[in-house]
Amino acid sequence: MLFLSLLCATSISIGVETSLLSPQDTVELKLVEVYSAPLEKYSFGQTLQSLNSRDLEDFQGQALAELLQQRTGLFLRQYGPGMLASLTMRGTSAGHNAVFWNGLPINSPSLGQADFSILPVGGFDEATIHYGSSGALYGSDAIGGAIHLNNKNTFNKGHQTKILSTLGSFGRWNQQVEYAYSNKNFSTRSRFYRNFSKNNFKFNNLARAGSPEERQKNAEIEQIGAMQDLAWNLSEQQQLSTSIWWNHTDRQIQPVMGSNDKDHQVDRNFRAVVDYNRFSSSTVWNIKTGVILDELNFNGGSNKTSQYLLSTDVDWNISSKVKSKSGIRFNHVRGNLSSYEATEDRIELYQSINYLPASNIAFSLNLRQMIYDGDLAPFTPSIGSEWTFFKNDNNSLSTHASASRSFKIPTLNDRFWVPGGNPDIESEESISAELGFKQEYTSNGFRLSNQINLYSMWVDNWIIWLPRGGFWSPENIREVRNQGLEYFATVTKSFDQIQAEFNGSYNYTLATILNTLSENDRSQGNQLPYTPKHKAQGNLRLSYKSNSAFVNGHWIGERFINTDNMSAVAPYGLLDVGFSKKLEFIPKVNAVIGFQVNNITNNDYQVLRLRAMPGRNYLININLTL
Amino acid sequence: MKNFRLLGYLFALSLFIYSCDSSRDERPLGEYEKGLLIINEGNFSSRDGDISHYNFNTGDVQQNIFEKVNNRPFAGLVQDVVEFEDYYYLVSNTGKVEIVNKNTFQSLGSVGGNTVDDNDPELNIPRSAIVADNKIYIADWGPYDATFANPKSYVAIVNNLSGGDVFKKSRTSSRPENFHKINNDLLIVCSAARKIDVMRIGIDTVNRSIDVEGTPVRFIEHDNKLLLFSRSSSGIFFHEINKTDYSITNSTEINISNTTSKLTLGENGEAYIITSTGWPDYNDAVSKISITSGQVLDASFYEGNGFYGIGFDNFDKNIYLSENNGFQGSGTAIVINQSGAEVKTIPTGVGPSGFIFRR
Repeated sequence: MLFLSLLCATSISIGVETSLLSPQDTVELKLVEVYSAPLEKYSFGQTLQSLNSRDLEDFQGQALAELLQQRTGLFLRQYGPGMLASLTMRGTSAGHNAVFWNGLPINSPSLGQADFSILPVGGFDEATIHYGSSGALYGSDAIGGAIHLNNKNTFNKGHQTKILSTLGSFGRWNQQVEYAYSNKNFSTRSRFYRNFSKNNFKFNNLARAGSPEERQKNAEIEQIGAMQDLAWNLSEQQQLSTSIWWNHTDRQIQPVMGSNDKDHQVDRNFRAVVDYNRFSSSTVWNIKTGVILDELNFNGGSNKTSQYLLSTDVDWNISSKVKSKSGIRFNHVRGNLSSYEATEDRIELYQSINYLPASNIAFSLNLRQMIYDGDLAPFTPSIGSEWTFFKNDNNSLSTHASASRSFKIPTLNDRFWVPGGNPDIESEESISAELGFKQEYTSNGFRLSNQINLYSMWVDNWIIWLPRGGFWSPENIREVRNQGLEYFATVTKSFDQIQAEFNGSYNYTLATILNTLSENDRSQGNQLPYTPKHKAQGNLRLSYKSNSAFVNGHWIGERFINTDNMSAVAPYGLLDVGFSKKLEFIPKVNAVIGFQVNNITNNDYQVLRLRAMPGRNYLININLTL
Repeated sequence: MKNFRLLGYLFALSLFIYSCDSSRDERPLGEYEKGLLIINEGNFSSRDGDISHYNFNTGDVQQNIFEKVNNRPFAGLVQDVVEFEDYYYLVSNTGKVEIVNKNTFQSLGSVGGNTVDDNDPELNIPRSAIVADNKIYIADWGPYDATFANPKSYVAIVNNLSGGDVFKKSRTSSRPENFHKINNDLLIVCSAARKIDVMRIGIDTVNRSIDVEGTPVRFIEHDNKLLLFSRSSSGIFFHEINKTDYSITNSTEINISNTTSKLTLGENGEAYIITSTGWPDYNDAVSKISITSGQVLDASFYEGNGFYGIGFDNFDKNIYLSENNGFQGSGTAIVINQSGAEVKTIPTGVGPSGFIFRR
């Protein structure tokens, strides 16, 4: 088996609990895994959270939106179950977070955001959340944070087949079939899936006199997709890997209560990435090329965008105290939309430096400059540090701090949409700072971890589309201050064959409008719409031998529906429970059978006003591995 | 919250007991019987239309009174509010009509608002309504076709004044906007077809159509004349309609550009209309015109941005102008006196588009 010692690379193993990642020092990278650049390496001073594989299993075939809403402190604006879901991080807007799949930015260049309802869990093996402004590390859009979805492929595993099935309420049937083969130097994995839901749940129609109970119509979803991973160990120093993902989502768009719209949307997404990595004793040289083809067809109107990316960087461990990563990324973007055509080239230069003067203190400095369409985007530096100021056998106390500038270049629609696109519009930009504390205690199979982050951010040139005569046009008009707190807790305890684990989080988010749009605008000082001040979430899991059970709850505070803060959607809490059992009923065939009840208290709730959501519902998972 | 609701019930009960006192035989005043009602169209994506109430005496404003009274959102875009006896018909162009008591805003029923029949919803894009012959007639654009035209427009007829199922749909010319009842006929303004359809009440089918110059907006009664207000790119028209055979007997054209359909009658044949320059300056204005002389009296009587609705109060002779604040949150009503000076402002709901004065 090949081993390659790489300083300062961290491998995130699958199967660990939801964990907050902290940059580590020396770790060995085994070439039994397909290499991907460690996300946390140059992010001292900020927080990354990886979602565990059991969470991913629980949500097999469902949208990433559901997983993030139920198992993290992030808030997603969901326009109904399975409908458009946009993410708000640290009180920013839907486009103010960057989303990457295997290092490719997958936010739509025309809309500037990702729809988390059409990213099925099963389209990736790992999901990592980067909290906070990280434009210097990731480029445009990462004002509130970033989401990374990665495939994790391995070598030397032989043949493996997986059949994953989920049946559930409202006609849900998710089916995934996967075959993988790998030897020492070659790995292949193919995956096909189909996720279907009739989505005809019952709800109380508030839009009619007497609020009668009705069944939801025009909300059916069918999603099919395929993935192919390939990897080669070309030599002891070289690895080539590729991932291809094709995803097709055909949806009826659930109308607002009381409206009879019968919209229909088809999303087709093709993403492919090729990575070449060359390793030496102190460097990793990566060349990445990728293509992203998106098509959104709404009621027959087609909007297509494509991105062609080429990037290269060198990650160099100069000494035990100094690490450096230098790179360049080129992105050719083409838009062929229902009302316009546009192309542009984006080029980015980036430099990251880690400085570790002592074993308990570390600094990261990141710099990035993007040029798009001949214009300079705001120069984005960030600096962060982490200091473990107390450590003994059982306890560890650390603090971190960071400051950063981030930006979002205007979307193609902002600049070119006909009518109304504004070619002179500028990038949105932010300045943010954060401070955090982390405490960890471990003893005899017991672990307790608490972390708190406090942040303050100022976002300016925020783009708003305003009605201008017969059409709408975007302007750099809003200024917002985002302040808040993120708290994470983890408790694990093992005794005999029982394992108990609790993960919880609480987010407090103030997103305050600082300016007015006109003389009679009364929004100054108000909270941004659909940005809850409070969200709490907790997950308790108990495992005994081959049995596992969980209880999950999340609670979301009121969301104002407008900048006037006059009306709000009521707070709600949902409780889900699940049970699963591992079986081996035929030699070499492992089965996991699970049963889940979501919204067990049958709460009538809405995430966004007048978008009906389902009551109590059931899921049965059957996962076979052979 | 529950405690407040309980208190509310107790309060209502005490009012009930009080109102049963036989020594009082006057009907208690409905909370919204007097005052200014502001129609807030709402934002298209959030469908948050509702009505605001302004108390002329105290200056108090209540927002979202439909939701407040009925404990559920209006859930639509308010296109029109039509009065008949004790009813208001709140017409939502997203597919329903809500019927409330006009003095209390208590919900009495609704038409449409469901998705029960996917292929033939009860209402598509209702624009206005009228009561005649003990039936509700609802003007509906019908579904859009592939080119966003509405070739299958209709009037939906409901037999119960408190709502319920659509009994009959009767085809009209494209895009019926509103009605005028005269003799035993309904005159239906059809904007896309540029026609007035004539429907005999009781027979309930369109028996003839009258071509109109310009895009017709609505009927106006002035000086015992029936006028039809219509617009073209170069000006506006007031067509005088013969009250017997509905032919156009006379037309007054006013040469004024950039007009919108938002017009209100003042006194002595004067009217106020919102104009908008559009791209790239986006300057809005209120122009004062005379519909009797056909003259523009003051093209820039009042200037600003985001003007969305206009009304005239015959009591205080002020002009009420609404501003939509770019649909970013709630808007504002600006009260202007006869000399074009701002008297006061009133906070409104989202997308304020019209006024009802109940003095």
